[in-house]
Amino acid sequence: MTTLKSNKSQWGLLGFAAVLLATATVMPVYAATGAEQPTWRPAVSEKFVKLPNTYLKKALDRDFSDSPLAEAIRTMDSEIKLKMQTLADLQSATDQAEGDVLTELRHQFLAQKQEYLDLMKSRQNLRTKHYKTRIKVYQRLLKKMSREHSSQSSAKAKLVERQTEARTRFEQSAETIDMKMFASTIAPESRYSQEYAKNLSAANTLLQAISSHPMNEQKAGTGPSVSKPDYVRELLASTEAELSLINQEGEIVGYMAKLVALDARALAEQIAENDADLLEPDKPVGVSSAVALFIH
Amino acid sequence: MKSNLSRLIMAGLIGLGATASPAAAGSVENLERERAIMLETMLKSDLTPQERHEKVRVSKRRLIDLERIVLRDKALTGRNSPAVNRAFANYDLTFLAHASTEKNLLVTDHWLEQLGLTSQNIMAAARRRR
Repeated sequence: MTTLKSNKSQWGLLGFAAVLLATATVMPVYAATGAEQPTWRPAVSEKFVKLPNTYLKKALDRDFSDSPLAEAIRTMDSEIKLKMQTLADLQSATDQAEGDVLTELRHQFLAQKQEYLDLMKSRQNLRTKHYKTRIKVYQRLLKKMSREHSSQSSAKAKLVERQTEARTRFEQSAETIDMKMFASTIAPESRYSQEYAKNLSAANTLLQAISSHPMNEQKAGTGPSVSKPDYVRELLASTEAELSLINQEGEIVGYMAKLVALDARALAEQIAENDADLLEPDKPVGVSSAVALFIH
Repeated sequence: MKSNLSRLIMAGLIGLGATASPAAAGSVENLERERAIMLETMLKSDLTPQERHEKVRVSKRRLIDLERIVLRDKALTGRNSPAVNRAFANYDLTFLAHASTEKNLLVTDHWLEQLGLTSQNIMAAARRRR
């Protein structure tokens, strides 16, 4: 009776394990199924080059977040969470089981571990794809910036220098010239000058509002200002670091896979040891053991 | 709603780089035209000194505005065209009205001085066969 009760609870555990497995059958492993790979195709436009530093990354993040690749990674993340839950449940069920049910649960546990590793591998592939695309974007941005910079020939640079000098000279003398022109002569200030002064004061008020805007202060407070190429290079370096971490995670998954393989071999050997058909035949009885039978 | 808002933010940020609207195309050409008219007036022999002075005075007022428009035109920054290059090659000759007022000189005197034609030079010049 006790044996029957024990068997019943063992089969209950096995049923529970089967339910767990059934809930974890959906596995979007793109590489294995050959389904259409989720992608992210960001367009490096003038928009990205012109955006201020702090918004460049945000814009790219937003672009990625709307892509099928990001959606696939999000789905994969939730699948992995579910799979981890399944593994934890199976582990606790294994702790309570014994006999054949234990063997079966151990087998299921290993199978689920294998599926978890497949999911991890798929997610790593997707994340690698994401960061590789991001690196390409940053490299293209840098190329675009350097092209723009190099297009500024020495003649152009000279012109810009002369223009700056002219403007500085004008700014320095403008007030004096106004005094001389409009205070000493009977002619009144021109309409352009009057309107310009009016607009300038309006523009200054707006500039003041911009500089005291909380979002602007937040932007300024993020650290020392860096040039756009420097900022993009920094983003590039951090993305490379992310990629390197994913590679390291890949190694960890590899070790996990090795452990699963070893566990599977151990389980197979244990099953073989318990199998009566596979037990080693008795050793042939030596003649010396029969000696006593002949001595009276 | 969210996408509209983000589009608005992006447009605003991109707009930051181009807040100063460029002056109408050809600000340099307008200045050159006015300057040429002024120089022509200065050199016209059929004008009385009084007429010339009055015309130059009116022209100078117009030139002041045109010169300021060119100097404040951000669209000209780095525009490597022959006209813009020539305009910024010599401040004293292009921005005649400003440079002359800065030096407390009449426009005519300032222009002649820039060309190397001072009263002393002219007086010292000798007529001889080339």
